[in-house]
Amino acid sequence: MAARKRASAADTKPSPPPQTQETTTLIDPPIAPPKKALIFKFCLFFSIPYFYLLYQYYTIEQELRRSILINASLCVTGFFLTQRMIPVASRYVLKRGLFGFDINKKGTPQGTVKVPESLGIVVGIVFLVLAILFQYFNFTADSNWLVEYNAALASICFMILLGFVDDVLDVPWRVKLLLPSIAALPLLMAYAGHTTIIIPKPLISYVGQEVLDLGWVYKLYMGLLAVFCTNSINIHAGLNGLEVGQTVVIASAILIHNLMQIGASSDPEYKQAHAFSIYLVQPLLATSLALLSYNCETLLIFFLPQVLNFLLSLPQLSGYVKCPRHRLPRFNPETGLLTGTRDGTLINFYLRMVGPKSEKTLCIHLLLVQALGCCFCFLLRYLLAGWYK
Amino acid sequence: MILLGFVDDVLDVPWRVKLLLPSIAALPLLMAYAGHTTIIIPKPLISYVGQEVLDLGWVYKLYMGLLAVFCTNSINIHAGLNGLEVGQTVVIASAILIHNLMQIGASSDPEYKQAHAFSIYLVQPLLATSLALLSYNWYPSSVFVGDTYTYFAGMTMAVVGILGHYSETLLIFFLPQVLNFLLSLPQLSGYVKCPRHRLPRFNPETGLLTGTRDGTLINFYLRMVGPKSEKTLCIHLLLVQALGCCFCFLLRYLLAGWYK
Repeated sequence: MAARKRASAADTKPSPPPQTQETTTLIDPPIAPPKKALIFKFCLFFSIPYFYLLYQYYTIEQELRRSILINASLCVTGFFLTQRMIPVASRYVLKRGLFGFDINKKGTPQGTVKVPESLGIVVGIVFLVLAILFQYFNFTADSNWLVEYNAALASICFMILLGFVDDVLDVPWRVKLLLPSIAALPLLMAYAGHTTIIIPKPLISYVGQEVLDLGWVYKLYMGLLAVFCTNSINIHAGLNGLEVGQTVVIASAILIHNLMQIGASSDPEYKQAHAFSIYLVQPLLATSLALLSYNCETLLIFFLPQVLNFLLSLPQLSGYVKCPRHRLPRFNPETGLLTGTRDGTLINFYLRMVGPKSEKTLCIHLLLVQALGCCFCFLLRYLLAGWYK
Repeated sequence: MILLGFVDDVLDVPWRVKLLLPSIAALPLLMAYAGHTTIIIPKPLISYVGQEVLDLGWVYKLYMGLLAVFCTNSINIHAGLNGLEVGQTVVIASAILIHNLMQIGASSDPEYKQAHAFSIYLVQPLLATSLALLSYNWYPSSVFVGDTYTYFAGMTMAVVGILGHYSETLLIFFLPQVLNFLLSLPQLSGYVKCPRHRLPRFNPETGLLTGTRDGTLINFYLRMVGPKSEKTLCIHLLLVQALGCCFCFLLRYLLAGWYK
């Protein structure tokens, strides 16, 4: 669901005389320079728990740690590559008319600036390149690992393709639901793990067993999870920096979680599984951070805000309540603040609770909510660790 | 490659990118290739080489990477007539399918059969979907295929050739594309001036195409046989393609006892 109004042929203002147009496009970059300070601050902040967990708090095997660090250094390169490619891609994208106007700036001069769309494609391609190249450097890889890894890449690559096709062609929502299910299939095929769930101790008396094998239901759950995650980030969107920001927050939490699990566990297969996750989350984090610098403005529980947003949205998505094309808050050009409408999104709900906010403040608040949700998840696991599993 | 083809169709990426990214797209393939990297020396050359079997090691993997890049781009440049891109893919894919079936039937090595079966499982969908596209793309075209299709088709055929362990045979199926590439080299390398499009010249009055001096197989063929209508020309070129494939089968048959 694009939150930027897609420019139609009728809306495009007549371009200035050809000579000035050409010289300006040659001399000036098409977009503002990246907000490097913000990203640098985040990296500094995040590297503290990252390195602490990796080196101090836990003793992790030399080889495993080396693979993780090789992956991390590859990702640093990926970050700079993505940051360099985004302005380049922006030119091409603008040339082909793939741009929108910022609805939340309508009525101000910034609302007339053409903002290039679909720069997620740069992130996606660099991510894939990093992930493909890493296979060569992971010396602990065996053929089973390669199968799962390539199945993961196939699913991700297919989704990137579908996302870009959707951005260009604007496909109907039924297709948006169907195709991620198919994109997730390689993943489900490659999943060679258990399909059992461990019943929480208090419920054992009701269920009658300690461990319940869900079989194909578990696989169905995984398929639905894939469809949910892809679409939920898409609908919890619309503010400068929200989509990439929420991804960065969740990915960081995932990374910390993986490191903690590797450190605390002694089962090599369990460690490998979490290492696998690290090898894909680090490139995601690195490439997303690069995009964020231009865009500023135990897994389901990390997505707590997205789940909330989805539940709030249900009445409108199901058609029970009238659902407009965009469900963004109302922008007041005079005050520069956003006010919550009666639409069922987390953004509007939050605004109705705390009152009108500027777009930037609102986004930071929502990302803090996201981060709090992740902290809550860690706390929950810690408290239940002895009691739950 | 499908992703890259679509991005190229939408954004029109520079040619350097078109060469670099397929190389990276081919990497998972090379990683997964768990077969031999040796080549069998044809009997007459054994005296010169000194060995029966030569292990090329990483050079073989480099060759596979280049093959992938070649296949994806060669279909893209042997194009421009209604139905030519899809048509050539259909002809080559059919030849691949026949080849696979023959190899499975004639062999007794289960691993060898599995490799060719692997190829069949990917070529059949390629053939089926391409035929559907051809029904709209054949002369006169209602739709064009874009780089999305040519990259997808080229990569798929390179993949099946590599993982089915018959890449040399694949290259012979691609003989017209190889010829086209060689003819194009002077212009692609910049030695000779290279225009944006190297299509033959269309005469609206006669409705015929005349070959220009550009270095493509299409123009070369037209200069040899004289002006032709677009439909006839496409049919001729596809027949040339099919003849090339038959020639490959003949070659394999003749050399089967003598060659390998």
